[in-house]
Amino acid sequence: MDSLYQYAWLVPALPLAGAALVGTGLIAFNSWTNRLRQVNAALIMSLLGVALGYSLALFWSQVQGHEAFHWQFTWAVAGSFHLEMGYVIDRLTSLMLVIVTSVALLVMLYSDGYMAHDPSYVRFFTYLSLFSFSMLGLVMSPNLVQIYVFWELVGMCSYLLIGFWYDRVAAREACQKAFVVNRVGDFGLLLGMLGLFWCTGSFEFGVIGERLEDLMAAGSLGTGLATLLVVLVFLGPVAKSAQFPLHVWLPDAMEGPTPISALIHAATMVAAGVFLLARLEPILEHLPGAMTVVAWTGAFTAFLGASIAITQNDIKKGLAYSTISQLGYMVMAMGLGAYGAGLFHLMTHAFFKAMLFLGSGSVIHGMEAVVGHNPALAQDMRYMGGLRKYMPVTATTFLIGTLAICGVPPLAGFWSKDEILGAALGANPVLWSVGWLTAGITAFYMFRMYFMTFEGEFRGLSFGPGAMRVGELSAEEEGHRGPAGHHAAHPHESPWTMVTPLVILAVPSVLIGLLGTPFANYFEAFLEGHGPLRVEPFAAEVDWQEFGVTAGSSVAIATLGILVALLIYRLHRVDPAQLALKLKPLYEFSLNKWYLDDLYERVFAQGCRQLARQALEMDYRIIDGVVNLTGLATLLTGEGLKYIENGRVQTYALVILLAVLSLVLASGLA
Amino acid sequence: MEPSFPWLTVLTLLPLAAAAVIPLLPDKEGRTVRGYALGVGFVDLALMVWAFWSHFDATQPTYQLVEQYAWMPQVGLTWSVAADGLSVSLILLSGLVTTLAMLAAWRVNHRPKLFYALMLVLYSAQVGVFAAQDLLLLFLMWELELVPVYLLIAIWGGPKRQYAATKFILYTALGSIFILVGALALAFRADTFTFNMAALAAQDYSLAFELVVYLAFLVAFGMKLAVFPLHTWLPDAHGEASAPVSMILAGVLLKMGGYGLIRLNVELLPQAHLLLAPALGVLGVVNIIYGALTAYSQTNLKRRLAYSSISHMGFVLVGIAALDVLGLDGAILQMLSHGLISAALFFLAGVTYDRTHTLAMNEMGGIGRIMPKVFALFTAGAMASLALPGMSGFASEISIFLGVTSSEVYGPTFRTVMVVLAAVGLVLTPIYLLSMLGQVFFGTGAAPACDLDQEHQHREANQGAICFGTSCVVPSEAEFGDATPREVFVAACFLALIIGIGVYPRLATQVYDATATAVIAQVQDSSVTLARLPQLPAGRPVGLPTGSGLLGIVD
Repeated sequence: MDSLYQYAWLVPALPLAGAALVGTGLIAFNSWTNRLRQVNAALIMSLLGVALGYSLALFWSQVQGHEAFHWQFTWAVAGSFHLEMGYVIDRLTSLMLVIVTSVALLVMLYSDGYMAHDPSYVRFFTYLSLFSFSMLGLVMSPNLVQIYVFWELVGMCSYLLIGFWYDRVAAREACQKAFVVNRVGDFGLLLGMLGLFWCTGSFEFGVIGERLEDLMAAGSLGTGLATLLVVLVFLGPVAKSAQFPLHVWLPDAMEGPTPISALIHAATMVAAGVFLLARLEPILEHLPGAMTVVAWTGAFTAFLGASIAITQNDIKKGLAYSTISQLGYMVMAMGLGAYGAGLFHLMTHAFFKAMLFLGSGSVIHGMEAVVGHNPALAQDMRYMGGLRKYMPVTATTFLIGTLAICGVPPLAGFWSKDEILGAALGANPVLWSVGWLTAGITAFYMFRMYFMTFEGEFRGLSFGPGAMRVGELSAEEEGHRGPAGHHAAHPHESPWTMVTPLVILAVPSVLIGLLGTPFANYFEAFLEGHGPLRVEPFAAEVDWQEFGVTAGSSVAIATLGILVALLIYRLHRVDPAQLALKLKPLYEFSLNKWYLDDLYERVFAQGCRQLARQALEMDYRIIDGVVNLTGLATLLTGEGLKYIENGRVQTYALVILLAVLSLVLASGLA
Repeated sequence: MEPSFPWLTVLTLLPLAAAAVIPLLPDKEGRTVRGYALGVGFVDLALMVWAFWSHFDATQPTYQLVEQYAWMPQVGLTWSVAADGLSVSLILLSGLVTTLAMLAAWRVNHRPKLFYALMLVLYSAQVGVFAAQDLLLLFLMWELELVPVYLLIAIWGGPKRQYAATKFILYTALGSIFILVGALALAFRADTFTFNMAALAAQDYSLAFELVVYLAFLVAFGMKLAVFPLHTWLPDAHGEASAPVSMILAGVLLKMGGYGLIRLNVELLPQAHLLLAPALGVLGVVNIIYGALTAYSQTNLKRRLAYSSISHMGFVLVGIAALDVLGLDGAILQMLSHGLISAALFFLAGVTYDRTHTLAMNEMGGIGRIMPKVFALFTAGAMASLALPGMSGFASEISIFLGVTSSEVYGPTFRTVMVVLAAVGLVLTPIYLLSMLGQVFFGTGAAPACDLDQEHQHREANQGAICFGTSCVVPSEAEFGDATPREVFVAACFLALIIGIGVYPRLATQVYDATATAVIAQVQDSSVTLARLPQLPAGRPVGLPTGSGLLGIVD
């Protein structure tokens, strides 16, 4: 048994080897490697397949009740300081390994079809393999530093994949935004990590938790400071799991190819924040203040995401906001201390959201045959409609995913979301009501999406009133593609490589929730128990009344949401355009994403640019100017006074710089 | 253990001697000279690796491979060379970067003999600076390095090369006067007149004297390290020099400043260092933020990289100022890592320039489509520079952060502010580096406004005209192919080391960890002599007690 664990490093190492091999090939023998398209893909997929098999073996071993396994080596030494790296295989890790490898493998299979005509097909698989390595490394990390390492590596893969189509301007902007926003989160994570190390002298979760408790008990560390440090660490998950206020990168990240949106920006990487919160459990449990921050951030994000998703017309953007909203649920669960529930939702969400995204990719793939390779057209739901007729498998699986995310029993999403809502009801009714309301909005926007895409008549480019202006459309069309005769009249179902993953993912989307029913919660028994898995079926303490209240209320609001969507978008009893007009301020608010993107652009992006310009101006005019004596003369003859008097930019920069200096000096002397 | 063979002398003088032969070589369009110089560089590098591998014991903090010959006893000058962990790592870095720079300089069609001769002289001077044990010898080597750099910039540089070269020589020459004055002051103040560093380190000076000499050295090395506000020569010099020279300038010459700070300021003047370290830390933080901001608004590719060097050198200062082993280890690793990363980036900038014939980023755009390999390598280099984990920049910066965090000399407020402000640099770095990648390699969305008209384009010679961003280049003016195997090889050498050190930093740190530990121990010892510190609790392995009254740096 031990040898199984000793070689567990193979799980991330195999995809890394694949990526390194093919990547080297791409650099050294470019045309050769590019020609062997499916050979490379097959190599990478079989390596990941072995990793999946290995993960399943590890998972099974954990289910059998074997002990968690730790392995470490000294990574860095300086004087008396040692920093360890290594890996840990415990129940949470083994579960995450299975989720990541299985979704990644299905996404790869799907990508073979989706990216079939892309000239950078091989590069795409290389990146996918590199990402799999990083994500697997992340979930196996035993301490905070190593988590930080892989945390940034998955961020880099995300950057590379969002910017995959690098001749698109939108992709360029999106990948930079994603990386920088994530760096802001990592800034907090790093500071919090350093602060915790300062207080406790360790990076191990368990050790930090114990020592923090001791320190706080001894009174040598204020609870406020400890809370602040943990909240700083929480900034990492806020960015990575797209929580307010750092969620803005995720919708833009949809510029990447759709399989990436499914794998990275729905199922795995964005869930890393939730995973980290689960790892932080031994630290968080001593700090109720930090838990409150986490819970409210999650609840607010859940509502924010759902409220924006209502008005999105881009099918991927809609799903992206839905992801933000669902991640909010998970984070809220973590903040409530319901780790099992949060992780359960992570798992169910990984499967059904991956399926939804892959389904949207299948739709886009089909639409591209009609409208051409223009994301602005192929992803716009206003051009779709009636696709069920042309793409029956995609439509069925998408419907399953929609039902699952809406929380319709007995599909997966019902059980996991209900568990979170149950926990919220026990802790804070306000949080529960936010979550409950969001569940209704979720049902509405998801069915809006389903109806707009798959039901009714196919609209194609001659879509009905109330959407885009006609001139705009024709201009776009002309600019992009030649005569329309090149396109098919109808979309088509996708090839088997794309459809098979959808069908496979539909199975867990329906069934996996049954592992975590309140009557027999195998999932939590596995995560939180020790020794062999033991579940008392129909446990005596099931509170039927409470279950009835929470389940009943959430089914009720979901039904309400579905009915409203049915009325508006299927039966057309209410005209959505009229409705939008009537609720114009709210509609605009949602459509413009609460104006957060504009705000950030104006304050942070432009502010940073402005500051940089001023710094350079000062560098050139004053510092270099003094060297060239021109500046000195200016300053001496009183010309310099002008800068101060009329508030020229460089003066501000100088003031800022002096402020930085004096701040540091003052604090040093204090 | 004492080697009989004078390894360091040979390593130092071999390129210089080889350079003296170059004028005698028959010149066939510079090909022979090129091969010859490259061969010499490689042989010297191989000898270094062999000598240090077999004769250097990294577990010892002491000077090894010691050689001492009286040279001009009248003025007290001895040819005295030795190496400890710090020297060894930097000598290896200079050997590697210079050799690869000569491999990068493949098409020197203007006075190739002089070019390669100067490169070899520069090679010797770098090794000499890092190996010198005698202050006067160090000064001589320092001066020896200036001349070839001045000529290399002034003859083979960009359009503003004269200005840049003059500025460089004025700054550095002015700086080296401070070295000379400081060295003389130390030598005269010592019990017996000597320039020997080990002997000088054993001396005790009065605090006031130490402070004055410290400031003199700080000016000299601060200029070299491009410490704000003495940095403005750097963007000009690095921006105007040709790519191979920029590689050496950024890769090795900057590190001489950091080396000098550690070797002279910290080792010889520990009391002054204890007092002035906070100021050094503040300068470091200013460098980090200021360099990053100015880099962001640069529109010239090489100048942006040059300002990013200023930002990264700030981390070296912060690490030196941390006054503990982790910080110093990180500072040295940051020098090595930045040496590799900046050399790689400047090399790739040169590769790009060879094709586009412009360094203005707004005139490029979309060239990733034409040069995917360069794009990939450039991305890897930029990722290393923004301290992506798994690459050497992360290992050094995390070590510096940990060093400042766990440094027991400073009060918590000071440490917090330092760490937070330095971490702001981590957010700014991707902003300017990724926007650089975006502007140069990603699509701009703008339709190319080709100044070649239709008729022009159909002419035979212009069939392969290629459009970057908004300008077009005809094939007769530029080569627009992807990276050649030679170019991939050069970049891959750097990247392999960057990733190797990033994955397992002990590859590099074990060379100098013993030295760094000894240096810090020495500084802490001096605090005992310095200290009017009554209460030094025994048994603290690292750092001073937080209660020390130094500069009032207490909680």
